[in-house]
Amino acid sequence: MIRNSLLLLLSLPLLFGCQSKKGKWSDTEFDVPDSIEIAADFKISEEALEEIVQNVSSPIEMSALIKEIGTPFSVDYLATTDFVERYNTSFQMAYMLGVFGADLGYLNIYDKNTQIVDYLTSISKLADGIKVGQFFDFSSLKRLATSRENIDSLMYISVSSFNKMDSYLRETKRGHLSALMITGIWIEGMYLATQVAQDNSDPVLQTRIGEQKLNMNNLFLILNAYQSQPQIQELVETLNQIKVEFDKVEITYEMGDPETVEQDGMIMIVQNERSIVHITEEQMNSIIKITEEVRNKLIEL
Amino acid sequence: MARIAALLLISLLLGGIGNLQAQTAEEMVDVCVGKAGEDATYLKDFKVKLGVPTDGRPQVARFPLVLSSNNIYRFSVCDLPSSEGKAVIKIYDNNRLIFSSYAEDTKEEFNPFNFMCKKTGIYHIFISFLDGKSGEAVGILSYVKK
Repeated sequence: MIRNSLLLLLSLPLLFGCQSKKGKWSDTEFDVPDSIEIAADFKISEEALEEIVQNVSSPIEMSALIKEIGTPFSVDYLATTDFVERYNTSFQMAYMLGVFGADLGYLNIYDKNTQIVDYLTSISKLADGIKVGQFFDFSSLKRLATSRENIDSLMYISVSSFNKMDSYLRETKRGHLSALMITGIWIEGMYLATQVAQDNSDPVLQTRIGEQKLNMNNLFLILNAYQSQPQIQELVETLNQIKVEFDKVEITYEMGDPETVEQDGMIMIVQNERSIVHITEEQMNSIIKITEEVRNKLIEL
Repeated sequence: MARIAALLLISLLLGGIGNLQAQTAEEMVDVCVGKAGEDATYLKDFKVKLGVPTDGRPQVARFPLVLSSNNIYRFSVCDLPSSEGKAVIKIYDNNRLIFSSYAEDTKEEFNPFNFMCKKTGIYHIFISFLDGKSGEAVGILSYVKK
């Protein structure tokens, strides 16, 4: 009850005060109808772009790491689904589809079926909004979420649905929406990780956050291809605040040859070449802070 | 047991109960994910349809992806029944072959296989068919639970 009241209180400025703020999503004037195809800005070939798009890591991996290091589940990390109806431009819908997709991954990893239904409902609405709802089998997913025995299937169908939506957006020349969805997934994954890192200085988590420098660079390559659109340009400028911090992080490599071992009857290739992330406490704190600011700004209405 | 139940359920959802002999690449993804094992979480699939060699060079499909250090990934590949050739999945780091699901010298097959990643970066997955035959297959990338 207290939490609900608090949420309501916090949401009031969102409901009434944010429409004219600078820096959040632009108003609908730049929104593009879903039927319109948008080609990338040809500074980068479509083929090269396709390669880059394949290169953004899955939110499942970040959430799995968060759980593996013993972090208890917290609903406070998640973006609220309460105002999903208000995300009504294709840009907002695609971006929030990614955000909620990352949160769904987190909920799946922690087997939180009760909350999952809320996120499935919101994702379904957003997916319909940008005409990719046919790849999101809401009724099956909801059925799986409410019968606690099928977590593996729920996870599989969820991830698979997002992969299909992403592919379809690119196939139908709406790569800008795919780019926005991927950005939403990445930022939310970063937010989850950095929120946990505030209270947990686990070195594996810190390394994983530092390594996101590589994904961030990929993300910029994707988004830059659509920079002729003002909203994407605005997004790039916002994300650049995180990039500035990541540019200070150094990643070095130690060479080594892979070896093959057998484990539980299966071949495992152990890589002995390793990446080493050099990140100071100050840099980490800056990344945590700026990620929170950027993430909250981007989900603002 | 849980895996079998999950597979059956997926088949049911897709209207293909009992049809584990997948006819399409999409159906084969479902089957191949099931074969990856109970400890594997699906991340991505790679659908491949390759013809016979052109200019004497076997066709190969290539997919770039980012892998993260401290993760164990599982790679598996499944042929469609209509496929003439047997699919092989290989992982490359830059231009260096890390592993192939098929050893040419011993004729042994390692499908699926695990990869313990210690270097975050861009890797490339290559899928081709033995002896340059044509075929259709799906590759699956999974995350192995620790």
